[in-house]
Amino acid sequence: MKILVSTVQIRLFLLVVTLGLGLAQCDKNDPVDPTETDLSGIPYNPQSYAIPKPAHFPQVPVPADNPMTVDGIQLGRRLFYDPILSADSTMSCASCHLPVGSFTDNKAVSTGIDGIAGRRSSMSLMNIAYATNGLFWDGRASSLEDQALKPVEDPIEMHNTWPNVIEKLKKHATYPTYFRKAFGIRSTGEITKELAAQAIAQFERTLISSGTSKFDRFLQGDVDALDDEEFDGKLMFFDEGASYGLPDAQCFHCHGGLTLTGNQYFNNGLDSVASLDDFVDKGRGEVTGKQKNNGQFRTPTLRNIALTAPYMHDGRFTTLDQVMLQYADNGFGVENEDIFIGQMGFPLGNGSYSGLNAYQRSAIVKFLHALTDTTFVQNPDIQNPFK
Amino acid sequence: MKKYQILAALLLSGLAFYSCKDPVETGIDFDMTFTANFDGQQLEVDKIYPLGTLPINFQRFRLYMSDITLLRGTEEIRISEVEYLDFTPSSSATNLSVTPKIVFKNVPEGSYDGIRIGYGVKPELNAKRPSDFPAGTPLAIEDDYWLGWKSYIFMVLDGRGDSDNDSNMDFGFSYHCGSDPVYREFTYQQHIHVEKDHPGLQIAFDVRRFLLNDDNSPYDILANRATSNEVSDTRVAEEIMGRFDSVVTMKQ
Repeated sequence: MKILVSTVQIRLFLLVVTLGLGLAQCDKNDPVDPTETDLSGIPYNPQSYAIPKPAHFPQVPVPADNPMTVDGIQLGRRLFYDPILSADSTMSCASCHLPVGSFTDNKAVSTGIDGIAGRRSSMSLMNIAYATNGLFWDGRASSLEDQALKPVEDPIEMHNTWPNVIEKLKKHATYPTYFRKAFGIRSTGEITKELAAQAIAQFERTLISSGTSKFDRFLQGDVDALDDEEFDGKLMFFDEGASYGLPDAQCFHCHGGLTLTGNQYFNNGLDSVASLDDFVDKGRGEVTGKQKNNGQFRTPTLRNIALTAPYMHDGRFTTLDQVMLQYADNGFGVENEDIFIGQMGFPLGNGSYSGLNAYQRSAIVKFLHALTDTTFVQNPDIQNPFK
Repeated sequence: MKKYQILAALLLSGLAFYSCKDPVETGIDFDMTFTANFDGQQLEVDKIYPLGTLPINFQRFRLYMSDITLLRGTEEIRISEVEYLDFTPSSSATNLSVTPKIVFKNVPEGSYDGIRIGYGVKPELNAKRPSDFPAGTPLAIEDDYWLGWKSYIFMVLDGRGDSDNDSNMDFGFSYHCGSDPVYREFTYQQHIHVEKDHPGLQIAFDVRRFLLNDDNSPYDILANRATSNEVSDTRVAEEIMGRFDSVVTMKQ
């Protein structure tokens, strides 16, 4: 237990030191580049911010080198919703991650400023702070700070360059002040893409469930929060139905924990391929270069899944019923399919499984709807600040 | 009366100050290195191994340990309350094996006769939830907590097998053991020297032995492909967890 307490102490210490260093930096007397705007007259009073979360949720991981501050979050929120990041000032992060879609765009694949469609569907950012095993469908970004840098220069997304963005931010009427308040910079010359990404990451870490979905109410003791069908769906989802005559749906093995994503990479049995080299989109394999990772993708959260259609990395399914039909067929037996893809239903004794009948699929879909958290998507603190 | 109150307050403050001080460090760093093996060879994910005549591979192996305690006569020195070992390489890793190393702090120097290790999360901690622990600590890992048992998943051992020897790994096995009844503690007689500049302890888990019966015949994994999700049916989980005694070897 001593080790656990020490971890908290270390994190608090790092937060204090980091904020302290920021204060020390703004007191330095080094001359400011005369070609840049001096911001040192603007007050810098960073206030640390504790991310609100439901009591039954895990503690939110925050990296020691990007502590949460009130002004950092506000800057990040503006940058997230501001099309200033794109080359033609038409597209922001929120263009593909809208609150109403639980921070997706509800399109099969997203389209960038040049009208070019991408390959993959935008992922929900709900509870993204808990994603600590890579971001994007293929895990090519290691952190939220790393992820936030990439869409700006992606030619089929914002198609811009960071030097262009930084120049626009420096000349902007209000952003230099926001950067000063968030990070204590002394002049516009200290605005960097890394600080912009840190601010966006801070805002994204606040996108945490409200804890008011039916499922959350059930978890917190309201046994009537789920109706009978939703409850049956929950039992099958979490493989708890044996005593009730219900089969295992094996969902939670991949969609585990309270955030309902294990943050791992799986081949979830979507495609029948003769060889692992035959996947149209190699997913995780593109990043690792390993054949066995071809066709594997990061497990998305199922929280607010009813608001995030269409489904899968390429948006191939428009409804959750279609998703359940796919899984109920127990995959194709491709060698890197996850073990649990082939185990949905009752064991038949010959190594195969029964799949799920119509009621069982319907009950699971109803349970998935019970994960809907409208309080989260309507939270005024995470809406577009420019409206 | 007032001066006694002031005196009492000063005394209490002094006691509080004294109790807040860190304990005097009398020990040293002591490390343990853990390997997963199959019949003496370091385990590689996805590599095919023979279990009797049945080809099998392994895809995930991870476990919790509780109350790791060094033993010396009647003296017991607990060096850790809970630890987590994951032998599954991340998908981005180039290595096919993982060799976790844990450095235990402030371990009293000297010679010990043995070590006791609890496999799983001991009941006192298993009654808690991941949200009770700080992010980044072993018991905060959401993926290894199962609401169905209201328990941490003490051990995961997953893999695939080729039931008809046609080079197609056509079935999976998944042993996910959890809940208080399957928690196990074992004591190993082992001379352990905790000294500066002395090598640490090497502990090996031979996963093959999880899949051998007491008479060393292969466990029938075709008939027992998974641990039951029925909380009252812990038969397979107890069989697997009960084998840690023979699974673990150590040397220094």
